[in-house]
Amino acid sequence: MPASLWLIGPYFLALVVFLALPLSNVLQLSFYTYSPITIWTTDLTLQNYHKIFTPYFAKITLRTVRIGALATFFCVLLGYPLAYYFSRCSKRSLSVGMFILVMPLMVSAVVGAFGWIVILGRNGLLNGLLKTLNIDADSSILYTETAVVVALVHFLLPLMVLPLMASMEKISMRLEEAATNLGASPLFIIRRIIIPLSRAGLVSGCLLCFTVAISVVVTSALLGGRSGRMLGNEIYDQVITAYDWPFASSLAIVLVTLIVIALSAALVAARRGNRTKGMRS
Amino acid sequence: MMARSAFLKAFVYIIMALILMPLLVVVGVSFNPTARFIIVPLEPSLHWYSEFFGRSEYVGSLFLVSLPLACLSAALATTLGTLVAIALVRFNIRGRAYLESIFMIPILFPSILLGAALYLFFARLEMAGTFVTLVIGHTLIGTPFVIRVVTAGLSGINPAIEEAAINLGYNRLQAFFKVVMPMLRSSLVSGAIFAFILSFSDINVSIFLSGPHTNTLPLHIFSDIQWQGDPTIAAASTIQIVVVTSLILLAQRFSRARLVF
Repeated sequence: MPASLWLIGPYFLALVVFLALPLSNVLQLSFYTYSPITIWTTDLTLQNYHKIFTPYFAKITLRTVRIGALATFFCVLLGYPLAYYFSRCSKRSLSVGMFILVMPLMVSAVVGAFGWIVILGRNGLLNGLLKTLNIDADSSILYTETAVVVALVHFLLPLMVLPLMASMEKISMRLEEAATNLGASPLFIIRRIIIPLSRAGLVSGCLLCFTVAISVVVTSALLGGRSGRMLGNEIYDQVITAYDWPFASSLAIVLVTLIVIALSAALVAARRGNRTKGMRS
Repeated sequence: MMARSAFLKAFVYIIMALILMPLLVVVGVSFNPTARFIIVPLEPSLHWYSEFFGRSEYVGSLFLVSLPLACLSAALATTLGTLVAIALVRFNIRGRAYLESIFMIPILFPSILLGAALYLFFARLEMAGTFVTLVIGHTLIGTPFVIRVVTAGLSGINPAIEEAAINLGYNRLQAFFKVVMPMLRSSLVSGAIFAFILSFSDINVSIFLSGPHTNTLPLHIFSDIQWQGDPTIAAASTIQIVVVTSLILLAQRFSRARLVF
């Protein structure tokens, strides 16, 4: 047996036993019939998938996609200027900036969510601030979709900024200087140089943000309340509370399907980007 | 040129402040003496910290679950990941590119699916909710990061140095442990630190895999927020922030490798 097999073997085995097998188990369970007594019986059925198309679960799936798309959109909006700045700044500000940027992601989504509860709550920081400005703020955005999106953008931002930076660092400063010398406005440079040349980073950033955003449990459970429940919350409740494992499995398959769709869209987008680049040169 | 515009700079500073704000709010609340969630305590007190250390469920979740779990899964992830990295860099393997992307699957694969799938799998084998299942889950999410960091570090080491050591009488293992390992130390340490942080701050896997006696600290914070607890939550969160930030700083000292996903 070659030595490389001994080196790769243990991890490969772990992936097969603890990732591939559990996933095929989920796929198998999603076709089993739910039984209140034994949790599942091996009678095959499509009922679990039918249930997803009932109004309640269809709404949850749509909301999950909507929240994911909104969070990704705002990450792009905030991430582009940040990535541009950090790919062009001094070493010192870069390391401080990166440190601050990754902190919410690294510290745990729970801690960030708790901070947002204190800020956004009815008697929280935001409403207090509005009150001192004499703006009547009786309601709060806590326990709405908006609150979930805010908290998601907070910790997903590095997942957008880091890939964007990786591709922006490759754009030569000279290109911008040349464009400026030839009379291009900053807006023109952004539209015709920065955005086209950082496309690869944008695509992988969007993919990362969207996949993580549509598969959260904690953020939506703490900040979304009743009106912000997402697929992750339903999966958790079906597994842990309702014990309807076949249905939970079919919900998990829905989530996997969404991710596969996002992944293929990203691959198509990346390939198209390569083709136009090839045509231009 | 644009990079030096004051407008862009102001924007970046505002966003940085907004990113820090929720975390600073948590720290502020943890030092307030009242049972309310006051953000800027005028008379700072350590009351909620003594409360934290007085509650066995919090102390247990930190010292008996979260820390041992993170140490163990970081050690396992570093071992597995380093072995894979050596194979990827030093051996000519057929289908290397495919293998590399297969090995990265746990990064792109959402951790809640991993958690749910592992829970259902272990529940069928009737071993759900034990410490071992948590270690398995966290090792899986840590290993790809170790592979990335160590692969990058190992690619920077000239294989000729190893060959020289072998020519001078070391065998392959000795050459690795005595010659390559010391040069690889910073990558190994930062890989291990990242694996530790991933385990220590994870909630998506542990929410499914932990049983009644294996609640991690983030999980305990989570359930306490849901039950509308007191500012002990803030003290616990601050401890979480302190542990993770000091580890990030430590990792930054050891290697300039950036965490690129």
